[in-house]
Amino acid sequence: MAMFFYGFMQRALITAVLMAVLAPLLGLFLILRRQSLMADTLSHVSLAGVALGLFVNLNPTVTTLVVVILATILIEYITRAYQTYAEVAIAIIMAAGLAVALTLMSLDRGTSAMSVDQYLFGSIVAISNQQVLLLVILTVIVVGAYVLFHRPMYVLTFSPATARAEGLPVQFMSLVFNALTGVTIAVIMPIAGALLVSAVMILPAAIAMRVARRFNTVVLAGIGIGMVGTVGGLVCSYDFNTPPGAAITLLLVAIFLLCLGGRGIWRRLRGRRLMFPDKNCDS
Amino acid sequence: MNYIEVHDLSFVYEEHPVLQHVSMAVQDGEFVVLAGENGAAKSTLLRTILGEAKPAHGTARMAVRNCHGHPLKVGYLPQQIAAFNAGFPSTVYELVASGRFQRGRWFRPLREHDRQHIQKALTAVGMWEWRKHRIGELSGGQKQRVCLARIFAADPDLFILDEPTTGMDIETRAQFYQLLRHEVHAHGKSILMVSHDNDNVMDFADRQVRLVRMEGTQWRCFSMASCNAH
Repeated sequence: MAMFFYGFMQRALITAVLMAVLAPLLGLFLILRRQSLMADTLSHVSLAGVALGLFVNLNPTVTTLVVVILATILIEYITRAYQTYAEVAIAIIMAAGLAVALTLMSLDRGTSAMSVDQYLFGSIVAISNQQVLLLVILTVIVVGAYVLFHRPMYVLTFSPATARAEGLPVQFMSLVFNALTGVTIAVIMPIAGALLVSAVMILPAAIAMRVARRFNTVVLAGIGIGMVGTVGGLVCSYDFNTPPGAAITLLLVAIFLLCLGGRGIWRRLRGRRLMFPDKNCDS
Repeated sequence: MNYIEVHDLSFVYEEHPVLQHVSMAVQDGEFVVLAGENGAAKSTLLRTILGEAKPAHGTARMAVRNCHGHPLKVGYLPQQIAAFNAGFPSTVYELVASGRFQRGRWFRPLREHDRQHIQKALTAVGMWEWRKHRIGELSGGQKQRVCLARIFAADPDLFILDEPTTGMDIETRAQFYQLLRHEVHAHGKSILMVSHDNDNVMDFADRQVRLVRMEGTQWRCFSMASCNAH
């Protein structure tokens, strides 16, 4: 493929592969913890971090990381206050993050508005070598954390009460997971864009949950599906000259719909075979 | 040796007292049933014992070590655990196997004796044939049995079970109580179980502790001996 002779496309391909590995490792636990909207929330908070960085003339990546980590601590605190309705924390912080971002943007007009637009929509093809390196380091950390801690996280996700009784530091684990998710969102956001980062995080794992049987197989399937989505979306966006983030998201949604429909057709065919084992399915 | 000690415990929920002056103990090798009408704060008492909730007054303690001097292993089955995890993407075998990875065993691979424990646990609750099925494919009663199998596979010293027979038919319940009784008397385990099934479970348990509401909304507790202790 001639497109990958270009340096920016090579970086984009590496980024797509790394995102495909990273996203389902966190996305699956987000779904199971009923925090699917956490990615959206943290992307809104990341926007506030970017706006803050531009407002005070500091590196937006640094301010974003600080703001996101503070937000995850706040989410954990509010979640404990609203135990039965834990999603309230996500709604509150999402709204607050966006409100802070819009306020700071309005106080600092001019170039900052354009810069925030870049974070809203992102661009995988505009990624720098430093951002690729940061993503590599983050991927190594997340993969290492998964390999080491997937069993305790499995029990925590299944039943926090059971995990606590078995001696796991439930609140600490929850906080670290949220913080790691926040850092990942903050790093991925300039690439996928604040508006679409949750699609990249959640869709591969959501699709994998429908096609795979065992927990570890779900993770591997999520990575595979993520690869098809991110790399395929990148190629499609190059060929059709469309925004990469949108192309990736649309391809993942198409895969999801295919899975949904395909599973329904498979079940119908299986049902007919079980009811009429001696007959041809077409009769 | 007492595995659980509750002394003069009071618990307040949003400024209303729901437990007052509760004292009880569970010794090693004892099967104790915690009974009471609906809303008697039985689950709250369990959560306080487990350290999930803080009492307003008094103490609730679990032993740190078992009667052999090893760290105490606790198997806890929360109320309605199966209802919260209908779509969990895992097979029955995986879920039960997760019970083997406690306290320092999180990072080692499954060994042969782990697999034997898992098979024995699944067979004991009648779910071995379902081991490759996903959790979501099971009925509520089957999920409950799988969660129980997980605890059996973990081989804890102390079982804390909150209404474990939810969704079970009468025959299955009797088999389950027999299994618990076997764990206590053959293996020296201890059990604290919340149950509404008093008529049947007291044929197998050693003792019952009943939470009773006194006149004037105060909740008190007193012990009762099993009528059919073996």
